[in-house]
Amino acid sequence: MTGYFVAFITGLTTGGLSCLAVQGGLLASSLASQIENEMKGRTGKNKAKPNVAQPIVWFLLSKLIAYTILGFFLGWLGSVLQLNPISRAILQIVIGIFMVGQAMRLFNVHPIFRYFNIEPPKFITRFIRRKSKNGSQVVTPLFMGALTVLIPCGITQVMMASAIATANPLAGAALMFSFILGTSPVFFVVAYFATRIGERMEKYFMKFVAVVVLILGLIGINSGLNLLGSPLSFNNIVSLITGNSPVQASSPTSNNLEGSAGNPVVTGYNPGDCKMNISQNSSTPQVVCGLNADGSGYSSSPILPGGITGTEQPPTPQNAVPAPAETQELVINVENYGYSPEISHAKAGVPVKLTLVSNNVHSCALAFVIPTLNEQVLLKPTGTYDIDIPAQAVDTRLRFSCSMGMYTGMIIFDL
Amino acid sequence: MKITYNIPDMHCSNCVMHLEALEDELQGVISVDASYHNQRMVVDFNPAIISEDQLIEAIVEKGYTVG
Repeated sequence: MTGYFVAFITGLTTGGLSCLAVQGGLLASSLASQIENEMKGRTGKNKAKPNVAQPIVWFLLSKLIAYTILGFFLGWLGSVLQLNPISRAILQIVIGIFMVGQAMRLFNVHPIFRYFNIEPPKFITRFIRRKSKNGSQVVTPLFMGALTVLIPCGITQVMMASAIATANPLAGAALMFSFILGTSPVFFVVAYFATRIGERMEKYFMKFVAVVVLILGLIGINSGLNLLGSPLSFNNIVSLITGNSPVQASSPTSNNLEGSAGNPVVTGYNPGDCKMNISQNSSTPQVVCGLNADGSGYSSSPILPGGITGTEQPPTPQNAVPAPAETQELVINVENYGYSPEISHAKAGVPVKLTLVSNNVHSCALAFVIPTLNEQVLLKPTGTYDIDIPAQAVDTRLRFSCSMGMYTGMIIFDL
Repeated sequence: MKITYNIPDMHCSNCVMHLEALEDELQGVISVDASYHNQRMVVDFNPAIISEDQLIEAIVEKGYTVG
């Protein structure tokens, strides 16, 4: 029972706001349809206020049911079930484009944007209409609420991983139910009062909704770009311009970067060859990379329970001159509002032992992703986690972010 | 008999459902097929039971303009 209570409190505190930032767009889209319909019907003597509470409740109820079912399946599967960073980024960008299109439609920019409004099939609308007089006001928020399972925020992903770890369908369902129930009051309060404020600006309200949807859409696209590791995202452009808090890597053997000069550069390395395999059923997840000293083959480093990496040195080929077994160390602090430092500098051609340090962190920054290495890891709120990064070419910019692309950072191999 | 109306002030798919409800509300209307994308609605009706003027009146009562 304690676990469910913790899940509820997590949802009520960090989870609610974190997920609102990610899924707020779907709720806004849902409310936009509702309010638009209400205002359209408000002609003549009908001056009733838009009933925004009802669609919010439908949205949250649908979300609660959808995630409970998801928790059931996660518990049943008992294995990792998550999109890789690239597919999640693409999904996020597509959703962002959809939202921007919706905003353009609300602004009435061009008739073509009407096609961003998905019309449900005729037989469904007819069925719903005949079953319920308020069909149209129910279906949209219900649909949108269920869609949120496709874009879980970092905290939700942590909870989903916990649901998998229960390896029990009912326990997984109960855990997700407790968490989403906790997030619901935050969603309701923020969404409800946001719409009340908007109502006072009646004349401009639809424009206001359109602006909100537009901003959320742009944020979604930007997060997707961050997740892809694209240099075109807003955060990366700003970081490059400001050169935010650069930090240099240190050598564990000498603490002197000059001393590591002359190390062989690993060539022929393909970043896509690097994978972190994490299995809930295994006590020793593996980082598997193509980082042998001669640039061929693979080596692996088992990650011990608790997130500590037991690093194995790459096997030395027979008759080969053994390369200096040197790595450089980088420490990045995982914080509630991002990563510190956001930009680090490291020596090219030398592997990096990246240590992530979290201390009482409860934000989605815990879901750490390096897209180009296809690495993703869910960190503990307090602890350290080591990731072995293979040697990179000169001027490589290795971007990392939280799993939703909200918090970002970069390692530049330019030393 | 089928007739097509331009409805220039349909705002979303909720309007579609709103207008298509006429097939349940008006006697003599066989089916209503509205499209938000095209801003049009096609009404299949029996002119012996309901007139065109009555149809237009019902649409206007719902708050829409017949173009």
